Amino acid sequence: MNASPDDQALRALMASYQAGRFEAFDELYALVAPAVRRFLTGRLRDEARAEDVLQETFLQMHRARRSYDPAYPVLPWVMAIARHCWLMELRRAGRRPMSQLDVADVHPSVRAEADAYAAAADLERALGQVPAGQRQAVVAHHVWGLSFHEIGAQLGIAGSAAKLRSSRGMRRLRELLGSGRGGDDR
Amino acid sequence: MTEGIDTHLPAALRARLAADYAAVRPLPHPLARALVLAPFALLALVAAPWWFELRVDMVRLGWAQAWGWSLVQSIAGVVLVAAALREAVPGRAWTRMPLALWLTVPVALVGVVTFTTYGASPIAVRNGWAIVGAMCFAGSLATALPGTVLAAVLAARAYPTRPALTGLLGGLGAGLMADAGWRLFCHFSEPAHVLSAHLGGVLAAGLCGAALARRLHTRRL
Repeated sequence: MNASPDDQALRALMASYQAGRFEAFDELYALVAPAVRRFLTGRLRDEARAEDVLQETFLQMHRARRSYDPAYPVLPWVMAIARHCWLMELRRAGRRPMSQLDVADVHPSVRAEADAYAAAADLERALGQVPAGQRQAVVAHHVWGLSFHEIGAQLGIAGSAAKLRSSRGMRRLRELLGSGRGGDDR
Repeated sequence: MTEGIDTHLPAALRARLAADYAAVRPLPHPLARALVLAPFALLALVAAPWWFELRVDMVRLGWAQAWGWSLVQSIAGVVLVAAALREAVPGRAWTRMPLALWLTVPVALVGVVTFTTYGASPIAVRNGWAIVGAMCFAGSLATALPGTVLAAVLAARAYPTRPALTGLLGGLGAGLMADAGWRLFCHFSEPAHVLSAHLGGVLAAGLCGAALARRLHTRRL
């Protein structure tokens, strides 16, 4: 299976945590927590709550460590648990999740670019109009920072198909924002 | 990746994790885990015909229409449980299309088996339609319950992020296994009876699985 060096390192750490090296979790936390924190902060829009859910996510990762299969990438496994913890938090707080991705979810670098395109509300609306499959790929790649291979594994499609979806999603987003500005889907 | 923010595992969390830390073995492949239910599938296949009797039209149906379809149902049940166990692994949950396919399998399979069997040996329920229906429904469901519980417990050993869906798949799988045996006893092939009572039992097992898996997951959190 093809994997990025980062992913290889994460897999090795997770396998080593399963095997009995407790310290591996410190390294895993250092590598994975920022992405999870960004994901949670974007959704909850409350840093303190996001921090609580981040800790809950790592607690659940610890409890669910047996379910991680070293043959697969680590990040989709972590993000699925983080998403579950986020939904649990919403349920506990008696709130319903927002149906659409909002602008706060977007990675700072993307957000800076988005500011140049249009107001935040326009971006939110435009993202809402991108077909769901393409939006998932755009968000997973540009917001969560997952590789196309990892996205493919999570969505049950080939990495090349994930890249194509992301690319089409970005193109659609640009069209919706009414800009002819170029740029590759990196 | 770190962006200058705190990347140290908080001390309180670290202490909490260390308190119950032990090495673990990764769970085997979902299909391998689903094979744990193979003895149950075999038992369910022979239980009803052994306890009561084989259906009266066995000869007319022939081996393929009787035992053959039941074996197909049993195998489909094990595969459905494997699908449930894969669904229980974070990050490996089924997307919408395959999920719709998995949920269609029990209905489609029982439908095909029903109409094929009815074509070969049409036997209608003449008296006591409701009583016969209730007996087959209860029988299928009761036979499925041990498998449903086992599938839910196996799923809970992973970390189902959609526990109800996981339990539903597992329950439907166990239901198919149970009905595979029950249809070898019940000779009424009338589609109205089979699709309401027998398929009803399979679907009810799915609902029981969903409720149980959800309960188990809630207790774990």
